[in-house]
Amino acid sequence: MSRIGVFVCHCGLNIAKTVRVSELAQFASTLPDVVVAKDYKFMCSTPGQEMIANDIKEHKLDRVIVTACSPLMHEQTFRKVLENAGLNKYLVTIVNIREQVSWVTHDIEEGTAKAKAVLNGAVYRARLLAPLTSRVIDVNPDVMVIGGGIAGIQAALELANTGKKVYLVEKNSTIGGHMAQFDKTFPTLDCSACILTPKMDAVLQHKNITMMTYSEISEVKGYVGNFDITVKQKARYVDHSKCNACLACTEKCPGKGVSEWDEGLVKRKAIYIPFPQAVPQKPVIDREACTYFIKGKCKLCQKVCEQKAIDFEQEDSFSTVKVGAVIVATGYDLMNTKPLVQYGYGKYPGVYSALEVERLFNSAGPTGGKVTMRDGKEPQAIAIMHCIGSRDKNNYEHCSRVCCMYSLKFAHLFKEKTSADVYQFYIDMRAAGKGYEEFYNRIIEEDVKFIRGKGARVAESVDEPGRLIVEAEDTITGKFIQLPVDMVVLSPAMIPRSDSKDIARLLNLSTDKYGFFMERHPKLAPLSTMSEGIFIAGVCQSPKDIPDTVAQANGAAAEALTIVVKDKMELEATTAMVNPASCCACQNCVRVCPYGAPFFNDQKGVSEINEALCKGCGLCASVCPTSAIIARHFTNDQVLAEIEGLMEF
Amino acid sequence: MSINFKQIEEKLKSEATKLLEEGKVGVVLAYGKGYDENHPLPFVARKASDVENIVFNEYCTANMARYIVRYPRGTKIAIAVKAADSRAVIQLIQEDKVKREDLVILGIPAYGMKNAKTGEVVDSKTTCGMYNPVIYDTLLGEEVHGQSVVSPYDVLAEYEAMDKEARWAFWKKELDKCIRCYACRKACPMCYCDPCFIDQNKPKWGEKSPESHGNLMYHLTRFHHLAGRCIDCGECSRACPVDIPLYLFHKKVAKDCEEMFGQAAGMSIEDKPALVNFRVEDSDKILE
Repeated sequence: MSRIGVFVCHCGLNIAKTVRVSELAQFASTLPDVVVAKDYKFMCSTPGQEMIANDIKEHKLDRVIVTACSPLMHEQTFRKVLENAGLNKYLVTIVNIREQVSWVTHDIEEGTAKAKAVLNGAVYRARLLAPLTSRVIDVNPDVMVIGGGIAGIQAALELANTGKKVYLVEKNSTIGGHMAQFDKTFPTLDCSACILTPKMDAVLQHKNITMMTYSEISEVKGYVGNFDITVKQKARYVDHSKCNACLACTEKCPGKGVSEWDEGLVKRKAIYIPFPQAVPQKPVIDREACTYFIKGKCKLCQKVCEQKAIDFEQEDSFSTVKVGAVIVATGYDLMNTKPLVQYGYGKYPGVYSALEVERLFNSAGPTGGKVTMRDGKEPQAIAIMHCIGSRDKNNYEHCSRVCCMYSLKFAHLFKEKTSADVYQFYIDMRAAGKGYEEFYNRIIEEDVKFIRGKGARVAESVDEPGRLIVEAEDTITGKFIQLPVDMVVLSPAMIPRSDSKDIARLLNLSTDKYGFFMERHPKLAPLSTMSEGIFIAGVCQSPKDIPDTVAQANGAAAEALTIVVKDKMELEATTAMVNPASCCACQNCVRVCPYGAPFFNDQKGVSEINEALCKGCGLCASVCPTSAIIARHFTNDQVLAEIEGLMEF
Repeated sequence: MSINFKQIEEKLKSEATKLLEEGKVGVVLAYGKGYDENHPLPFVARKASDVENIVFNEYCTANMARYIVRYPRGTKIAIAVKAADSRAVIQLIQEDKVKREDLVILGIPAYGMKNAKTGEVVDSKTTCGMYNPVIYDTLLGEEVHGQSVVSPYDVLAEYEAMDKEARWAFWKKELDKCIRCYACRKACPMCYCDPCFIDQNKPKWGEKSPESHGNLMYHLTRFHHLAGRCIDCGECSRACPVDIPLYLFHKKVAKDCEEMFGQAAGMSIEDKPALVNFRVEDSDKILE
């Protein structure tokens, strides 16, 4: 016999609109073991919480059911209420009649009926709940930051400045990310390198930061507070502990690789540092381009290296890093616009992608900062085409957020460096940010021509060979226009890194349909993920500009700090355990667990579970053919009772 | 070429004697005399003097892999296996129920085995239809070549042509016959759970008396537990006293698994059990 109190929340009209809440409370009072049932406008408010606390005392309740919003929102709130009232906090059940009922139902009859069904199930389950004890674990004080772009750099510096040890993992041979490729930053037009390189250098100098460049994570074990992450150090073929960065090797190297930093516009050597301010300032060998690896002969770099740092025998190496929290800041790729054949990228030499143009402007770029095209000529007319692939149902529906602004920046720089006419083909002009609208107005005054209409096609000019024709509908005048230009700049959609799904799998993150990492809550937990102890910052979450990215990085650093600042933390008590009498030693549990919690005890011939590693996901319990595994708080009896309750409707 | 059963029996006896005398194994799992020639029984030889009771003829259909899990881990076991039986051994190795180094596998290439109950020849209709063991240490006869190879899934054509309702009616009718003797479970080399889910009381997963619901619960769950693990020896169907065509369901599930995960059960010790092994490239068809 238990004594259950049911508390039905209206959530203003969020729930009350499609569920008859008083009828639901009335219904609840007829259910077995329910001694009190009430409805209230906002159960999460202080009076609501007090009502529950008073009823626990007055009616001697030993189970509480709150039918309200998702447990992600207020489960902790109500657990506190129970704890303060002297009850075990695991005896509260949250029935989600908002996200799972009222918000997804239009009809009040249907909504009320469904709410009754789920509540009935919850009452059946609540009767079988047992008090549980939370576990307390030690917390590793270190943090790993994955991704060495501006977001990762910022987060790493913030954390390191608080005295925490940070591992910064970057898959390229230098940190810096995309921001290192930019020439100027909008709207202030300050030099990107000038504001970024001091931070890169600060990372290098910081005693609390361990930089792991040319590295990728390959395995993640453990859980919040105690992650064991295996990092793969890709073979550099250069022993960085010996290299003194004289760079004699890069001068002698006959190999030719494609410069990623210059977006493939020029070649670089096979042994190289990506750019002069790279951090670390030490070269790596590109196996694909190296004459020795291709032909088996050369080793010129080895001959000129006085430090004997070149090591062709080097192999990928693996190391394990223990940290308490992880920040993921893996950034973005630009969409490959080649498949959008209507824009002629890759077909016409006059068509450029945005990052290529960044490099053209840059004094360290392939043209030394002069705007000349692939044929060496200076363009006379330039079309900048917004929203290529983004805001596009056929490709990516999202707005990439930064293209409007960098397109304006491009226009300004083109005006500054050439005498060309500059045309912007846009759908809408989005300039929501501090100083952005002002920047837009400034560019308008610089005699840049704005055509409201998405560019539809780029074709070769018939009349003037070598020139291009941009076709678009000017939606203000309603006229179809064909504009002859020399250069076309495409602003492609910002999309997640091609390997973001692998990172998501390793870290157990969820992604949206395009592969951007999902935050725990879009408004109230934008930097947390559904995996506790793992935070996200920057464009890997969604497209954003540098100020927002840096703000997120600082936020993520603070979030990570909330975990690693403590020596101990409390973990959920909802773990799994094995009943050895029923274990048939099939070891399914060992094979399916993503956290490595179950292990096979060879001597006893049964599986056992390391509860420190268990996250309570229940996978093991569901694959156990003999029900030997009991998932606490979701035992077979409890779940079956809930199903029985649901099925009565 | 036909199978010389007598010769295989002699080789089996001499191998068993040798292994037991040399102390290489503690037990030899093979076949022994039954109440008549047509009904040989599973037989365990523990010492060399037991060997004379070993027989092998066309009625020795039982899958001796069934008995491996009865012995404590680390017991050295010699086992006589035909094609499907060898797949069961592989599957058990995959599931870490036995170690390869603890086994001496005596492979028997065979065809024309007969169902003791009906006298019918056992072929790809009710089994995997293979002739040679997939894995063995010693082969007790020459490999079978030249026999026509028929897909074990051909027999499904008629069943797969049925619509949902017809399939449901078919299985309802067949499973209603079940008297819950659990002979299928006893004969199955992969049914090693102790306790079986159906014998449990808390929670009680299904009715234990032979009635429609409990029968469905028992058989459907058993089919599910054997998904990706059933090696299609057909022993369950031969053991069934009421002739439920259990092999049909198992074959259907095996076929689906093979299509989805690109591996058949018990074909390689390197494989991992399909349903509890996550690979990024796995088909998501099961979720659709």
